[in-house]
Amino acid sequence: MRRFVDLYHRLLTWLMVGMIAVLIVPVTLQIISRYTALIPSWIWTEEASRFLFIWMVMLGAMIGVREGTHFEVDVWPTLSPRAAAALHLVSSLAVLVFALVFVWAGFQFTRFAWNRVSELAELPLWLIHVAWPLAGLTWTVFLGEKFVDNIRILRGKTTA
Amino acid sequence: MTGAVLTPGMAALVLFGTFFALLVARVPVAFALGLACLPILLSEPRLDSMQLVQETFNAYNSFILLAVPFFLLTANLMNIGGISDRLVHLSRTMVGHFPGALAQINVLLSVFFAGISGSSTADAASQSKLFIEAQVKEGYGLSFSIAITAVSAVLAVIIPPSILMIVWGGVISTSIGAMYLAGILPGLLIALAQMVTVHVYAKIYHYPVYPRSTLKEFFVSAWQSLPALFTPFIIVGGILLGWFTATESAAIAVIYAAILSIFFYREMDLKRLYHALSETGRLASVALFCVGTASAFGWLLAYYQIPKALLANVISWGMGITGVGFFIAFAFLVVGCFLDAIPAIIIVGTILQPLAASVNMHPIHFAIIGIVSLAFGLVTPPYGLCLMISCAVAKVPLKFALKDTLIMLVPMLLMLAAIIIWPEIPLILPRLIAPELLK
Repeated sequence: MRRFVDLYHRLLTWLMVGMIAVLIVPVTLQIISRYTALIPSWIWTEEASRFLFIWMVMLGAMIGVREGTHFEVDVWPTLSPRAAAALHLVSSLAVLVFALVFVWAGFQFTRFAWNRVSELAELPLWLIHVAWPLAGLTWTVFLGEKFVDNIRILRGKTTA
Repeated sequence: MTGAVLTPGMAALVLFGTFFALLVARVPVAFALGLACLPILLSEPRLDSMQLVQETFNAYNSFILLAVPFFLLTANLMNIGGISDRLVHLSRTMVGHFPGALAQINVLLSVFFAGISGSSTADAASQSKLFIEAQVKEGYGLSFSIAITAVSAVLAVIIPPSILMIVWGGVISTSIGAMYLAGILPGLLIALAQMVTVHVYAKIYHYPVYPRSTLKEFFVSAWQSLPALFTPFIIVGGILLGWFTATESAAIAVIYAAILSIFFYREMDLKRLYHALSETGRLASVALFCVGTASAFGWLLAYYQIPKALLANVISWGMGITGVGFFIAFAFLVVGCFLDAIPAIIIVGTILQPLAASVNMHPIHFAIIGIVSLAFGLVTPPYGLCLMISCAVAKVPLKFALKDTLIMLVPMLLMLAAIIIWPEIPLILPRLIAPELLK
């Protein structure tokens, strides 16, 4: 199971890196087309870059939950491993609520866009909207993994 | 307000109360902001949780924010491409013979870096790796080394280009070109304040000095760094001349940094490139995800017209421009302790704008006060991103470097006060170079 999650994590990271690497292309084309006659001034460059950007943010936000890189404010003194695990459990539960809202509302959001296309590039809009329920589901999987870890610490089975 | 179930006061209490309670429970800021919206969205019959998704979507669907990953990528490319090394060497030939040499180099490098990158977090991350260990080895205090690295990193968002100015320009519609010019002098003054601080520390603790470089070494080093030092002129000049938009200028910076790394300094390889891209993606998306939920939070504040209710009181105090300036700086400094700068602009910047306008404060003056205060927020606890990054690199808790950071903030705050009292400090450069942008 953990290997599957690892693999999925790596896939998401690859996709995110791909998004950034490609992101520079439409913006560059936009500038080139304005000053040279090499390429026509395509109307879709601005929209395409925005959509790549949205996916980059959502993919990064997904892996951020597993890597624990979403910024948090620390007002507590140094806690014992068990107390830290308990607190972690509480905050993970809150994030889980958020994840489930994204699954539920994101699902509606995607259905709502099912038959629509974007204004300029005429891409199917659900391709972008589906990032939201996917983020919710991904967080749920990653959080599930963390729950198992923290409950183990609380029960005193591992010392970490 | 038509048909809202909750009064503005109650809504404000629920929003801020839930947000702070979740922060204490160590829920990440981005999620706490989103979760704080939920009780309201569920209790208002006209709203539902779809709104949260829709608002985050609207926030990311923005061409302006694209500049954030581009500026981070520029910084990361510079580090892997050998540009940083040249600038370190140049800084050494310039300030190496001052007391506290390595720390002075640290500050001066931040100035150069600020002119190329628009991201303080990128600066803090790269310079922490570069300087903290090296400074400790030469006998500097660890806490001092962390603090000076973190406080000098804030220059990156004050000296152009700057992510915060681009976001400010997008949210509060202020000329980005004019803000870029206005940021130069305040940025250099704050850097000067930091160098004086280092000097005093160096005298008290007898920090080491390098032998003075010859003039020839300086010129050779400057010549090698020239292509990199040229970056800010391309970015700022291109915007002022109307060649490209702010976001496009960030893309130009990426391409320029890539060209320098590949063809000029020739130190980039594929593995490092992948690393730079993934680091950029991680940092950018975590920072930007927060922008989405902050926008939803800010949208709800506006829905209940809470800003108006909060400010009605303050406007009746009848403060002058300077009084309002200090009030704005104070508000941003307090908010900066708990929020990242971009969401703070979205939520608080828009709240304060009518107040600044009510006393005829110049929009550029307002912007610079806000951005400098928020930049200081990057090193103030409990949520000071640059300080958190520097401490994380040094593997110590945030509290460890707190005292030295706060000491270094004092001269910086004096500079902020000067900027508030004398609007000419930010306004003189745009007035001389591009007066048409100030109207």
